[in-house]
Amino acid sequence: MSAIGTSLPWTGAAAPRARRQFTWNALLWALVFPRRGQRIVPTVSGVLLMVLALGIGTAAYNSANNILFITLSLLLACLILSGTLSWLNFHGVTWRLELAPPLRAGQAAAIGLALHNRKTFLPTYGLWFDLGARFTGQTPPAVAESTLTGRGLDVRAVLAQAAAAEVRGQLFLRERLDPLGTARLDWTFRPAHRGRLTVALTGIGSLFPFGFLRKTLSIDVQEELVVWPAAVAYHRHPVAAERRRAGGEQTSVAGSGGDLQALRRYASGDSHRLIHWKASARSRTLLVRQFAAESAESFSLWLCTDAALWPRPEQFELLVSLGATLAEDLFRAGQLGSAGLDEETPVPIRHVRDLEQFLDRLAVVQPRAGAAGGGEPSHPLGATARPASHRNLLTFAPDGARGVAAYLNGEKTATA
Amino acid sequence: MAKKRPQLSLDELHQLKWLLGGVLVLLSVWTVFYLEFDAWVLMGLATAGVLAALARPEWPARVPAGMHRLVFPAVVLFFLGDLWVTGEVLPAIVRLDILLLLYRGTSYRKKRDDLQVIVLGLFLIVVAGVLTVSLVFAAQILVFTACALAFLLVITLVETAEAGGPPAGAEARPRWVDVRWGQLLARVRAVTDGRIVVLGVALFLGVVGISALLFLAIPRFQLENSLFFERFAAKKARSGFTESIQFGEVTEIQQDTSVAVSVDVTDRSQLPATPYWRMLVLDEYRDGSFRLSPALRLASFTRERTGTAVHAVVGTPPAAPGAPVFWTFYLESGISRYLPLLGTFAQLRFTEIQNYRLGAELGLVALRDEPMAMTAYRVEGMDAGDTMPDAKLVAALRPGARPGLVPVPARLLRLGVGEADRVHLQRLVQAITGGADLPAAEFTRRANRWLGQRHAYSLRPQIAPGPGDLLVRWLDSSEGGHCELFAGSFVLLARTAGFPARVVTGFKGGTWNAYSNNYTLRNSDAHAWCEIFDRAAGVWRRADPTVGAGNAPAETVRGEAALARRTDRSWSARFDSLRVFWYRRIVNFDQRTQVETLRAVKQATENTGRQLRALLAETVEQARAWLAEPWDGRRVAKLLAVAAGIAAAGWAWREYGRGWWRDLGRGSPGRRLDPVRAAAAGWLRRIAESGARGADEAGVWADLQRLRFGARATWPEPSAVFRRARQAVRTLRRRRATRA
Repeated sequence: MSAIGTSLPWTGAAAPRARRQFTWNALLWALVFPRRGQRIVPTVSGVLLMVLALGIGTAAYNSANNILFITLSLLLACLILSGTLSWLNFHGVTWRLELAPPLRAGQAAAIGLALHNRKTFLPTYGLWFDLGARFTGQTPPAVAESTLTGRGLDVRAVLAQAAAAEVRGQLFLRERLDPLGTARLDWTFRPAHRGRLTVALTGIGSLFPFGFLRKTLSIDVQEELVVWPAAVAYHRHPVAAERRRAGGEQTSVAGSGGDLQALRRYASGDSHRLIHWKASARSRTLLVRQFAAESAESFSLWLCTDAALWPRPEQFELLVSLGATLAEDLFRAGQLGSAGLDEETPVPIRHVRDLEQFLDRLAVVQPRAGAAGGGEPSHPLGATARPASHRNLLTFAPDGARGVAAYLNGEKTATA
Repeated sequence: MAKKRPQLSLDELHQLKWLLGGVLVLLSVWTVFYLEFDAWVLMGLATAGVLAALARPEWPARVPAGMHRLVFPAVVLFFLGDLWVTGEVLPAIVRLDILLLLYRGTSYRKKRDDLQVIVLGLFLIVVAGVLTVSLVFAAQILVFTACALAFLLVITLVETAEAGGPPAGAEARPRWVDVRWGQLLARVRAVTDGRIVVLGVALFLGVVGISALLFLAIPRFQLENSLFFERFAAKKARSGFTESIQFGEVTEIQQDTSVAVSVDVTDRSQLPATPYWRMLVLDEYRDGSFRLSPALRLASFTRERTGTAVHAVVGTPPAAPGAPVFWTFYLESGISRYLPLLGTFAQLRFTEIQNYRLGAELGLVALRDEPMAMTAYRVEGMDAGDTMPDAKLVAALRPGARPGLVPVPARLLRLGVGEADRVHLQRLVQAITGGADLPAAEFTRRANRWLGQRHAYSLRPQIAPGPGDLLVRWLDSSEGGHCELFAGSFVLLARTAGFPARVVTGFKGGTWNAYSNNYTLRNSDAHAWCEIFDRAAGVWRRADPTVGAGNAPAETVRGEAALARRTDRSWSARFDSLRVFWYRRIVNFDQRTQVETLRAVKQATENTGRQLRALLAETVEQARAWLAEPWDGRRVAKLLAVAAGIAAAGWAWREYGRGWWRDLGRGSPGRRLDPVRAAAAGWLRRIAESGARGADEAGVWADLQRLRFGARATWPEPSAVFRRARQAVRTLRRRRATRA
């Protein structure tokens, strides 16, 4: 299930839930043995400072010259100041991921990162955040390590595979985060394909204040999202004449037909004739009757995911994408009556929520092995699993080696 | 709602970086002012170039790109040429450093170039500090550190602002060069939070404090290696203390009132009324100048030795009763390679290893080279009297002594003038002594009186040209003269009268710094006087023939009475006390001082703790006693007054103090947030952080929001709302704790 506009709870050392009671033992232990994931790597200027301190210290001891000892003391004190300012900079900052699905394969997706500086009068500068997005349910990426027996090519291939499995990004806090202020950073990336995607905030880092040390803290904030199939362009064939003669199938979308579909709250502009007085009296709220649209034709969409029918993975992906695209187009036109997969009973698609649930299923559907029994590929146009009760049934079948065709009542109506 | 404080744009950060880099370059190259290397032209060029680049940052863009490729070879060629011509490594490196700083200060810099500016500048300042041990170094390194930290901070902010973007290309004319410094400073002022500035200053003071603690605590090992920098620089004398007197040279020194020597003494009662700090003895007069004769040098000075301790074996005065007296001298650079001393001594110890020669009978110590930095040494058992025994001379003058065994007396009696001048001198001596055979002390008195009657004191004597010796001509005239003329003339008169005599140069007098409790000698205290040998006593007796010298014996007035006359409480004395503090506590800090300091700190800490505990116990006891006393209206009123005072202080802080602190953060009182709205915002935040709100808290929340955002006319009573808010926070926290 994809979350819409999900905001995860605030995390970070200063988050309300994360506040722990201060103890000196914990502080001393943290100084001796840093927490897992804390990394401090000297930068070029940091290395320079260390080399300078070493050189000046050596000269100071060699000559017992107090001028050099003063310089050494100042350098060391600057290092202490750097650590203090860095701690103050990190301190009091909380963050949370703000996810705004739906995500669609091949389309830019934005992941929001909300920041809140809880310090009363100290701003925060120059943070960066490491984010990653990895599709779950895939083969886990190999551990990036080499062995004596490993061949270079193999290791490189494994490393490349591991790198390709995950999309990484960095977000930079370029401006000052004022005390008690908030900021939002957006990470835009493009999911390569459909599936379940785990978006994780893996680390926070900073060079502040003097750029001597690159400090990174490991974070484990992650959330799973669903990436819907990519939209594909398809060619539509003119086969609608027969369907019109058949009179079509009434949809259950809202309209002005004769069948009562539902009751809803009164809205400005509604006819007073539509008010359902009894229901309004019971609920003490004005309710109006909502009728199904009249004479609007609707279609049922059915996808057969038999692995024998779709031996080629790329063709199967095209099938899912075409199915999702048609579902959305038909729903937008008010012509999608129901949709289903394989032997399942097609589910009526009345609301956006229904469509999203169907797209969520398409996002994770995989070729089904051994469908329709016997191992023979089930033909979508005459399969036993085909829902027989539906007229205007849209089915799908391979179109050549790479393409996919959609059939309406057995007649090709669209190809992709 | 408080207006959000603006932020500096990337261009403005670049401009600030450019400004700070220029300031760092200027701070660094100005070390030449006290480093005294021949780099004035380069320093002037660098200053002008950097100032021009700061004023017009777009000018470096006009330099053709090809020129930058030629810079490195040109700089290398300059360095090699400099080395070839001067043959001095360290000055050449310093000039190279300044040249590189000039280039970096006048061209657009990348990050590595910025770091180069810091390293080059630090090198220059440290070299200057090590070579001069000047107090200026302390001020300069502090200012440099503050600027360098600000510079690094801006570099980091620029780097962060540019992170993730396209790599900055090598633009011929960067976008930020169109600077209006006035506008930039106004923007910096607008974005600056006063509270952050206060915190920044406090943190920097913390850095200074921590570095002071580190300086005290860093373990020291006395490896006794000499300083390597001095080997690579030629020495250059600044004063007139050479091994010969060229008349008139002292004039320049006397016009210079800068400090030459600072002296600490552990027992101030040992200070003579008019101390004469001997540095050099000139025994040979020839061709119109006094000099240290090679014979005396050979006879009296030891071979060169290397070490920190100098033990005098001849002329050591008997140990005085009571605690030993230590004299610590801080001799400024550029004064002389001869150390000022009051007389013979038992032991002298340098803080750093030195190459020296000891003239034990003369009471002199000469270093191999004139030190470029301040030289500190500690003397024990020094004789501050006005006589100096000379056993060798006594033996040489003894009747029956083999002639030629000790050639010193002949040289000490040699006039070094022509026959006509000698005859003229004899006539003068006849006039002084009246033909009588006087003892040395009486001859000194009469000769001084005779000189004082004929000659006045003058820094610009006009000696008439003519044949014969210059000193004899001056004696023959009534022209005024300075100390060297008086001293030289006295020596000629004394030798003519048959007394061995010699000129002594050094310092006379000085002032007692009332702030740092030390003796200060200035270059204007430089002086020349004489020593005449008293055959009867077998000692050299000091004689100061200069007019107005006040030849009172040193023993007559000593200690506090003498100091009272010489006490200096002027502003320059305050500044000099800083210099002495710098020498005593910083430059002269060694392993022994470290141990003493740590012991003192430990002792002080223990004492303070003890005193605090005692104070606390006493206070508690007093409070108990006060409470136990019978209560009356006066005591109740007093108690109420104290409580009211505390309450008033709290109220004042709440009403004005907090607002002031917030205003400091906003920069302008015009944008002050109403205190009630601010307090409401604080309670809203606290309630939000305390967990999920129930129906009980909904009312408080709404009221607080009305106080925070609503029109003033619709406000409920603020104090009642805040009281309810406090209760709500407590309830929420308790509820959360129970759940946990």
